[in-house]
Amino acid sequence: MPKRKLDPLPSAAFQILLSLAGEDLHGYGIMRQVAEQTEGRMRLGPGTLYSSIQTLLEEKFIEEVGLREDAKLGQERRRYYRLTSAGRKLARTEADRLAGFLRVARARKILRGDYV
Amino acid sequence: MSEKIYALLLRLFPSHFRKAYGDEALLLFRDRTRDEKGFFLSFRLWFDLLADLAISVPREYFYAKPKLTTVPAQRLGGTPLFYIVGDESPRPGALFFGGMLSLAALVTFSSLLSHGGNHRALVASARQLQRASAPPSSASTRPAPQAAHDTNSPGGGKDETISSTSRQSAMAANQSSPGRLKPDKSQSSALVRQRPSESPQPSTPQPRDTGSSAQPMQDDAVTTMATPVQRENLNAAERHRVIDAAVANLKQYYIYPDVAQKMADALVAHEKRGDDDAMTDGKTFARQLTIQMRDVSHDMHLELVYSQDPLPRQPTGQTPEDIARYREAMEQKNCTFEKVEILPHNIGYLKLNSFPDPSVCRTTAMAAMTSLNHADAIIFDLRDNRGGMPDMVALMASYLFDHPEYLYNPRENTTQKSWTLSPVPGNRLADKPVYVLTSARTFSGAEQFCYDLKMLKRATLIGETTGGAAHAGVWHRIDDHFGMGIPETKPINPFSKTDWAETGVEPDVKVNAADALQTAEKLAETKLRKK
Repeated sequence: MPKRKLDPLPSAAFQILLSLAGEDLHGYGIMRQVAEQTEGRMRLGPGTLYSSIQTLLEEKFIEEVGLREDAKLGQERRRYYRLTSAGRKLARTEADRLAGFLRVARARKILRGDYV
Repeated sequence: MSEKIYALLLRLFPSHFRKAYGDEALLLFRDRTRDEKGFFLSFRLWFDLLADLAISVPREYFYAKPKLTTVPAQRLGGTPLFYIVGDESPRPGALFFGGMLSLAALVTFSSLLSHGGNHRALVASARQLQRASAPPSSASTRPAPQAAHDTNSPGGGKDETISSTSRQSAMAANQSSPGRLKPDKSQSSALVRQRPSESPQPSTPQPRDTGSSAQPMQDDAVTTMATPVQRENLNAAERHRVIDAAVANLKQYYIYPDVAQKMADALVAHEKRGDDDAMTDGKTFARQLTIQMRDVSHDMHLELVYSQDPLPRQPTGQTPEDIARYREAMEQKNCTFEKVEILPHNIGYLKLNSFPDPSVCRTTAMAAMTSLNHADAIIFDLRDNRGGMPDMVALMASYLFDHPEYLYNPRENTTQKSWTLSPVPGNRLADKPVYVLTSARTFSGAEQFCYDLKMLKRATLIGETTGGAAHAGVWHRIDDHFGMGIPETKPINPFSKTDWAETGVEPDVKVNAADALQTAEKLAETKLRKK
């Protein structure tokens, strides 16, 4: 049986890690946060979202922090997720990798601007 | 309503996923439908969901694995820890596919069991395919009259597994025995050997078997006609007649009566089963019968052949006229001793293109060997040698030994003639290194020379694997187009279980025939220098 791989890190998993960097979120919260931070380009469907969450949980990059209500959304008790230190490290490594690409793109004059 | 639809769609996911995240997925759907209202947004929502299903469902099944549950047993020193599959029962789909797969395997296995015995037919049809794909040029370059099975292409000898023997023996016989050979190159003669008991000159050594048609062997390139291979359409009655005749011949002549009976039974059984029904082409039919006989007897010397051109009705006897004609042809060709010379480093070189009848060519052969008597090594070039008389093989080999040696010949029972005539008075070659050059065109009697010298470790064979024509069968004509070669003797082969029938003789040094002489010269030179 093949094992799910996080190497290379799929962009959905990376976005989930990023979304959890600020605060603990439930599934729908993650989906909305990801949509926001990607300017609406990535809307995670339930299948992709929860299979990524499952993989990240298995590899201990995120963890569950129990069930509680989200006052804004109603009475349902929702499962919240939190970034672990390993997950934070992984997200940083990935961000560094992408930053490296950015530097190359700038050096090759594909990308202009002085950020990164 | 839409939530119910999505709940149904969620059932597409594997159960472990539904169990873990089904409720949350439904909740997420509910959240989104609440937040994303309006035509565009709900259209986008459903687009997202369907796209997500299309991607995630296959992936989930791909990664799906039954949860392993650790048995809560204490791990004792050296005792391995066991895992068991969780209590989740297999899905109905999995059970269904598993059942279908088992059924298919069972059906395949049982049909293989019941039809496995016919696998030879596959081999036969594969051979036919191979043959059919042979270049048509081979058919157009054959001199007429020619047996339909004869596609005489150099290097193609291996493919001629079934019908080669009669053809080759025909060539050998034609060239070397007092037959109807004429010096005229385009002349093709038909020569059918009599059985020894019928021979008017029993003292004259003769090949035991014959070919259906023959040609002067150097005339491969002569193009006289391009004949269609399939001319005759056999019907059931004609096939039956051939099978009847084959059965009668086997019972009367084959060396082992019990095997003959078994082969006869097999032929009849195949016919009754309808195995031969598709054989409307004489050539294919003959091959089929040959395979059927060999399946039982495993005797590669046994064969049934088809000749497109009518086979001679009566065996051609040797009239004084025939002998005179043969003598004349041999004189013209110097008994096929093409070259006799001394190469640098005192290496004797003899190019011999057949092993002609000693009764005509003995003097020439002896003169050739005498002229090489003072050589330090000797090279026999048999690359264009298509065979001939065992007596000449023995005569030539006699010069290479200082005592009589037994030479195996698949055609004849052991007699006094099976031994070399060594020592030859005055001969100095008995202890000199010997090299024999071979090619895929080296056939029949020439192969006997190669085989025996190789087995006796008296010569180094250089070149290509030989043609593989051992033809031990005696010829029996069935009708104008069919005949069969039946082994009537079983000489003992002291060297190995098999001879060169079908397989040819492997050279000791494998090089292209064209490079064989150069290689032999080098080897001989090196060997002589070491002395």
